Amino acid sequence: MIKLFERRTRIAMHRVKRKKSPFIYKSYSKKPKHRWLRKRNAQERRFKRTGFIAILIAFLFLASLVWNIFSNGYSAFTETQIQLPVTFEAELIEKDAYRTIIQNSLLELFPGIEDRKEKRDLFSLVSRNAPHILKDIIEENPEAIDRKAMVWIPASSAISIFYKQHVHEQAKRSGKISPSQVAWVTDLARTKNMRLKFNWAFFKNGDSREAEQAGVLASTMGSFMTILICVLMAFPLGVATAIYLEEFARKSWFTDFIEININNLAAVPSIIFGLLGLSIYLNIFGLPRSSSLVGGMVLALLILPVIVIATRNALQAVPPSIRYAAAALGATPTQVVFHHTLIYALPGIMTGVILSIARAFGETAPLLMIGMVAFIADVPKTFTDPATTLPVQVYLWANNPELGFVEKTAAAIMVLLTFMVLINLLAIYIRRRFEIKW
Amino acid sequence: MVKNMNAEKKKTEDIAECGPENIRMKTQNLSVFYNNDQALHDINLDIACNKVTALIGPSGCGKSTFMRCLNRMNDYVENCRVTGKVRLDGFNIYKDNVDTILLRQKVGMVFQKPNPFPKSIYENVAYGPKIHHLIDNKDELDALVEKTLRRVGLWDEVADRLAAPGTSLSGGQQQRLCIARAIATKPEVVLMDEPCSALDPIATARIEELIAELEKKFTIVIITHSMQQAERVSHHTAFFHMGHIIEAGDTQKIFNDPEHQKTKDYIGGKFG
Ligand SMILES: Nc1ncnc2c1ncn2[C@@H]1O[C@H](COP(=O)(O)OP(=O)(O)O)[C@@H](O)[C@H]1O
Ligand SMILES: [Mg+2]
Repeated sequence: MIKLFERRTRIAMHRVKRKKSPFIYKSYSKKPKHRWLRKRNAQERRFKRTGFIAILIAFLFLASLVWNIFSNGYSAFTETQIQLPVTFEAELIEKDAYRTIIQNSLLELFPGIEDRKEKRDLFSLVSRNAPHILKDIIEENPEAIDRKAMVWIPASSAISIFYKQHVHEQAKRSGKISPSQVAWVTDLARTKNMRLKFNWAFFKNGDSREAEQAGVLASTMGSFMTILICVLMAFPLGVATAIYLEEFARKSWFTDFIEININNLAAVPSIIFGLLGLSIYLNIFGLPRSSSLVGGMVLALLILPVIVIATRNALQAVPPSIRYAAAALGATPTQVVFHHTLIYALPGIMTGVILSIARAFGETAPLLMIGMVAFIADVPKTFTDPATTLPVQVYLWANNPELGFVEKTAAAIMVLLTFMVLINLLAIYIRRRFEIKW
Repeated sequence: MVKNMNAEKKKTEDIAECGPENIRMKTQNLSVFYNNDQALHDINLDIACNKVTALIGPSGCGKSTFMRCLNRMNDYVENCRVTGKVRLDGFNIYKDNVDTILLRQKVGMVFQKPNPFPKSIYENVAYGPKIHHLIDNKDELDALVEKTLRRVGLWDEVADRLAAPGTSLSGGQQQRLCIARAIATKPEVVLMDEPCSALDPIATARIEELIAELEKKFTIVIITHSMQQAERVSHHTAFFHMGHIIEAGDTQKIFNDPEHQKTKDYIGGKFG
């Protein structure tokens, strides 16, 4: 208290001093003579430094997050393949025994293996999907029957991880890779019968029990279908609500009540909306579980208040003088809104809508509640088909301890983040390009 | 009333004819209340046809409120109540069944701060005629836009950039664009609420020239805080003070030989 008082008097004294001799700074040196000036400069410097440190910390967090995801996930974009000498025996093809064909070619590559366990290890070098790949080859070129060919077959997930990341110790300890498998892979690699290829399967497939076959196509399509439903429902509803509240409704306790509720709704935890969707859409309306239709409708509830608030802000940013100008020309209230206010607010509205789409795109919890957490191997064809979304796919894979799924998880996050960045860039572009400055 | 105005729309192709008394608008016992505060007290004022009427008075005396009664823009002000009559060509525009849309086509308005739409210059001028369906033909609309822009002396300046946004013009050009926008609907009366207060002296001079030009075809009501401007541009002047008209009449008479002491003081710059 006394200190404060002292300071006050000192400041007051400075003031008096300044008044007495309106002093002109002789020099603009960074180290002024007067203590209060030095103090003020120090304060400025301190503030700048604190801000810089804050930004630095935030940036470090972001960088370590991105680095972590990238270093875990980049390898998922490549696929390990093994070259096998395959003999397409007509007899076996007739019997649909493609598995045997694969096994024969593996045995041909590494002859003299008798032990059952050794054999099992050998056969599990390649993906369990390998027979299907052979079948596809034969269906495409039937002339290959009874011929011999060198075919690149995807390796199994464990082998792939081992080959890509050379995690010898970890892999051996986890019992996923036997010593003889290590020897075979080393041999294959030496003879250049193993290679890394861009992993198209990751973008062409849905979910799979086999990590090397699991892809993001089904969940990405599910995401887009869900978002489509969500936007179709929330955009007209939200914008119409905002226009009504902002431009037409007379202020009354009722509109105040609605406004308060909408603002509160924006703060409701998202899982509550999932429960709401479960009890209304599924249990009362009987809409199909796990479908993108219901997912979109739930997310629409979630972003509706956000769209209403963004639209109202955008409408409020249009100066009243423009409304008066139009009204004084004889435009009806509806014409004022649809010829002017709404048009000029549209860039702001679009920015808000796109950002809320980004939010819906990354939403997981409410979708779990309505069963979109199912195992989806096929791309959903209609809006009532069972579907899942990218973030839910991330959640599903993250729960799988298999090493192959760890890299898939990180890769799926990278795909998700890419979409997020694209959406945000679109919002920034629209704001820069179309925003009207008043 | 609505029918009459529609019928008249056809007749008023370019110049609205003045009635026998040469009075375009007339207010009778016009009072305006905001909430329960009375802003205007029993205003009776005649606005002469195709002449310029200036409204002067200190800030807050009710000039803008009065002007907004003439095209019923007060309808947009919350808690604003109007009593009394305002007649346009003899019709009381405050009757219940009046179509304010048609009214505002007849009585245009120019605001204090230039407020062009952030649309193209062309659209700014063409908007009024379009929504009133005065013209449905593209060529005629082009012709009307050109004629209107020529009338406000803007054509030579903007002819090569009609597609540029109206907001990209300078302040003075914007205000002339707003005047063009207002007269494009072929109104009978043009209301101007301090149209020059946001402009520099040169732009102000141009607007004054424009008013002198327009007065031949339009009845103009202008609010101004510049005594010189009122004296230069107007034929009639009304002096408002605290919601009352203290004195109204011929501009020369008011400026040279005012009847009331308050008028004399205000014009002489003693208050305001
Ligand atoms: N929207 C409004 N709500 C309440 N009072 C208003 C409103 N507009 C104007 N008034 C009041 O009415 C009086 C006249 O205002 P105005 O017509 O704007 O005066 P002027 O244009 O002559 O400066 C002022 O006392 C002002 O406070
Ligand atoms: Mg005013």
